[in-house]
Amino acid sequence: MDFNKTEEQELLLSSLRELVNRHLPDDYMRKCDEEHREHSEFYKILVDNGFGLLGLPEKYGGTEVDTTTLILVAEELAALDAPTMCDKMLQADDILEFGSEEQKKIILDLIKQGKQAFSIGISEPQAGSDNNAIATTATRRNGKVYINGHKTFCTNADRSPYMLCLTRDLESNKPPAQSISMWLLPMDRPGVRLEPLHKLGMGYTSTFEVYLDDVAIEEKDLIGKENMGWLNLMKNLETERILTAAQCLGAAQCCFNDAVKYANQRVQFEKTIGSFQLIQEKLTYMKIKLENMRNMVYKCAWEKDNGQSIKLSSSLCKLYCAQSAFEVADDAVQIFGGIGYTLDCRVSRLWRDLRVYRIFGGTDQIQIHVAGREILRQAAKAM
Amino acid sequence: MNIIVCYKIVPEEQDIRVNPDRTLDFARAEWKLSLYDLNAVEAGMQIAEAVGGQVTALSVGDGKLENSKLKKAILSRGPEVLYLVIDEALSGADTYRTAQTLALAAEKIGFDLILCGEGSSDLYARQTGIQLGEILQIPVINNISKITPQNGLLLVERDLDDETEVLEVSLPAVVSVSAGINSTRIPGMKDILNAGKKPATEWRAGDVGLPVYESKVSPLHTLAPEQTDRKRIILDGDSEENIQALFENIRQAIKQ
Repeated sequence: MDFNKTEEQELLLSSLRELVNRHLPDDYMRKCDEEHREHSEFYKILVDNGFGLLGLPEKYGGTEVDTTTLILVAEELAALDAPTMCDKMLQADDILEFGSEEQKKIILDLIKQGKQAFSIGISEPQAGSDNNAIATTATRRNGKVYINGHKTFCTNADRSPYMLCLTRDLESNKPPAQSISMWLLPMDRPGVRLEPLHKLGMGYTSTFEVYLDDVAIEEKDLIGKENMGWLNLMKNLETERILTAAQCLGAAQCCFNDAVKYANQRVQFEKTIGSFQLIQEKLTYMKIKLENMRNMVYKCAWEKDNGQSIKLSSSLCKLYCAQSAFEVADDAVQIFGGIGYTLDCRVSRLWRDLRVYRIFGGTDQIQIHVAGREILRQAAKAM
Repeated sequence: MNIIVCYKIVPEEQDIRVNPDRTLDFARAEWKLSLYDLNAVEAGMQIAEAVGGQVTALSVGDGKLENSKLKKAILSRGPEVLYLVIDEALSGADTYRTAQTLALAAEKIGFDLILCGEGSSDLYARQTGIQLGEILQIPVINNISKITPQNGLLLVERDLDDETEVLEVSLPAVVSVSAGINSTRIPGMKDILNAGKKPATEWRAGDVGLPVYESKVSPLHTLAPEQTDRKRIILDGDSEENIQALFENIRQAIKQ
């Protein structure tokens, strides 16, 4: 067993720390959250310093790295309370794999400028965890394709020139894997209407209901093969789970670091609060959770890099990290006490942000649904 | 233009412990690139990018230089080639010994310009660059805050107290740059991956013809400054009396 990072990974992480120290102002994240601004300035800095296209193929100007390196970057940025672009890269990778040359160019040009390229149009009011229930349609008429439907929880839909829009051919009566198509829908078309949703956390992203009323697009806007859109989504699904878990881990580490520092400074009853065993107990269990999360995330990435199936382990990892990271953040808030409940305190923001990780990218319950069936299947196979 | 950039490796200052007897404990300190030398590397890269040429990194010292992560670290900052003179005889070498070794290695490599940092971030003697120029018998200038290559010469600027001195320097030359000359580039993953593929040459002292010599100076000990007890005088508020009392206290402390 080798827990050492490679020299290249160590150098990369030290570059990231240098970048954050130099370019990320102390109050940047708080202000972006407060003013509902996205982290575009910092994305630009990441791109300009050669971190923007990490994980994308060489032929598109990216730097191919293994999953372990990618998750180390995501973890480190989150632990420094800095914006990460890794999730964007994976989504872009879907298009680079399945998209046309024209689509690739559009998306890459936007990403290279540190801009938001597209929002994700999967969820619909009746299709949340049950995304097979998608009912948005694509109909052909007069040489055009008309999109009709209602998408919801579309992150950054107002800031993205495109939406990755999933439609379903309901008339074919075929299963989702053979009846869902993916389109690169330009958001400036007539018939697109946005209604904002107001969230508890993640203020730096915007979230919308998107009504698509006879939105006319072209045949060339199809991504990959018609009715095979589900495949596009599946490509990076499991890696996205590990990446999400790595971000949880990083954010929890950030909360923990702040809490430990505070416990060493804050004096009550003429002692630092860290000298009370009730605080020490919290710190100890927070540390155990961090160790567990890190071990799961790294092992899962290692499995992926070694060509092993991560269907089960990525679900377990995402479930455990989303829950534990939130618990660590919650304990950090408790250690900070009243200050921890103010908006000036970083852990309160991370606490709000972390709550959603138990919901998006597959809820806790969906991870259990995936993992539970897989555990039984593997056991049945072994018998 | 063929540019040699000299650099040193130093212990991470945050991890140096002071023992109760004031001696220093380096056991936990990882070695890293000396901070100010990175400005010299950046200056070299900018010149090479402006007028063409090659940047070569050069360091001399003991076996700690063999650390492959440190080699990748310097090469990831841009230089295309790395030369090292590694010899246990160079462990803790003084500035003269260092300059002498750098001079021999530089002559063997060939150069138009040698760049050095402001000083090393550990001992900060700021002597090596000057001594290097003297040994090589070529123009040498330090504390340079701007370099513009022009018709085979360098136009350099040096900030003085109230004015900026602009000088023309003929090549070959040794130039030590100030820490404020530039903002260093941060290596991305591509730079880091490429660094491992760049050529690195290791010489022994004998390979560059370094004569055996006995240093006329040897350190007796290196001790952290003695800690003085805090006075624990707290003045609350910014009234005229308080300011006067603060002033008096400082005056007394300086007198002692």
